[in-house]
Amino acid sequence: MPAGSTGWVTVTETAGVVAIGWPQLVLSAGFMVLVGIISIRLSLGIEKDLAIATVRTYLQLFLLGLTLRWVFGVDSPWLVLALMLLMIVMAARTILKRAPDAPPGIFGSSVISMGLTGFIVTFAVTGLVVQVEPWYRAQYVIPIAGMVLGNSMTGIALALERVFADLDGRAEELVALVALGATPWEAASPSVRKAISAALIPTINSMAAAGIVFIPGMMTGQILAGADPLAASAYQIVVMLMVAAATAIGSVVAVMLTFRRRFSPDGVYLEKGIRDDEHALADGSGSI
Amino acid sequence: MSGTLLEARDLRFVRRGDAGPLKVLDGARLTVARGEVVDISGPSGAGKTTLLRALALMQPGVSGDLLLGGRSAAEVGPREWRVRVALLPQKPVVFPGDVRANLRAPWQLKVRADERVPDDDELRAALDRVGLAEVALDREAVRLSVGQAARVALVRVMLTAPDVLLLDEPDAALDADSAEQVAQLTAKFAKDGAVVRVRHQRPDGVHARRLRLSAGRLHGVGDSD
Repeated sequence: MPAGSTGWVTVTETAGVVAIGWPQLVLSAGFMVLVGIISIRLSLGIEKDLAIATVRTYLQLFLLGLTLRWVFGVDSPWLVLALMLLMIVMAARTILKRAPDAPPGIFGSSVISMGLTGFIVTFAVTGLVVQVEPWYRAQYVIPIAGMVLGNSMTGIALALERVFADLDGRAEELVALVALGATPWEAASPSVRKAISAALIPTINSMAAAGIVFIPGMMTGQILAGADPLAASAYQIVVMLMVAAATAIGSVVAVMLTFRRRFSPDGVYLEKGIRDDEHALADGSGSI
Repeated sequence: MSGTLLEARDLRFVRRGDAGPLKVLDGARLTVARGEVVDISGPSGAGKTTLLRALALMQPGVSGDLLLGGRSAAEVGPREWRVRVALLPQKPVVFPGDVRANLRAPWQLKVRADERVPDDDELRAALDRVGLAEVALDREAVRLSVGQAARVALVRVMLTAPDVLLLDEPDAALDADSAEQVAQLTAKFAKDGAVVRVRHQRPDGVHARRLRLSAGRLHGVGDSD
């Protein structure tokens, strides 16, 4: 649940907040119809995906709105924690899909790295920076957890995809290094460093461009909701730094927990030819 | 020759083949004495590379017993074993950086933290011995030809002074002159250690015991001079 901008058309106005009604929601779909027509005329072949994505946007965001309204009403710490856990598990599943080359069994590592990042960064922000009372107040914790988890998920998926692709690209070098007596860390560390930097670059770029090239999503939302722009920018600064921290912590933890899985217990890099050999790996814990 | 240096007993390895499981190593045994060069030949796909990797503890899934100077692989430990029984893969690998960085790469590793790093004079002399006199130490390694890279990789592993050197087709990428220099260097190395080579080419003047790998086992086919 990353920060997104809302609002397309203005109609009714209540206490500084412009609400959007059903006619406007339907009207906004008109733009998607336009894109659909373009897709058909140019044979882009994306009409179906576009239609599904549009319907999903309506359904998912409305469901989210309803759920959050209910969660804010119930106001229970257990509910907030349960929701965070659910978000973590869903994010870990997404990571698995986005890093198809990763070795099997990284779901657990993804959950651990998402969980660590999610809880540490979210509660650092709500507890120390925003100083929410009580600590579990859903109105603050859930949106912030959503941004933390969403961004660290993207970072973790990118880092995992990169580290295993880079290791395979260096397979011959890794074999030569292990043959010279390298530990898995000594052999893999250049790839690990590259993957973690790659995961951080989009975040660093968006931090550098924030406020000049674009108004960040959360700040946009707050301004549209009637907040003072200066107050909104203070929030946005905290959010950007927290997103950077979440991406960094998440990708470092995830990569450090998983790169070793591409090596055998006694430190041999498992190249494509070797790891596909089920017989080899099944038969032989061996006596060597 | 003085005593057994490397011993492999009952090596077994099964690979998934197109027509079901394939016994690549089926009870292979090998004894290498100090001072010996052993040449292994055999048809393509017979498992020669797998055997070399197994001897270097670099082939997961192999079962059997390996002994170095009477000590088992478990006693020696995988990292120390690979330092003592050094595998040079067939495809020459150069690391990022110049030739000097490549030759010193083994000393960047923790396993050699207490060893002295060879100085430029030693690196220079080692390159000269394999016909690489024209290659400067600060040449970027990616600019080496395949034949030059193969010799840099060989020099790198020889400088680490292992007990046993496992060479996978060491002269495949070399012209006749370079192959001759590498052969002489190999013979010289074997005076203190031992060398196991996978080779297809005709005898190269190095006195070697020749073995043939077929049906997962090694068979003696005489000596070559």
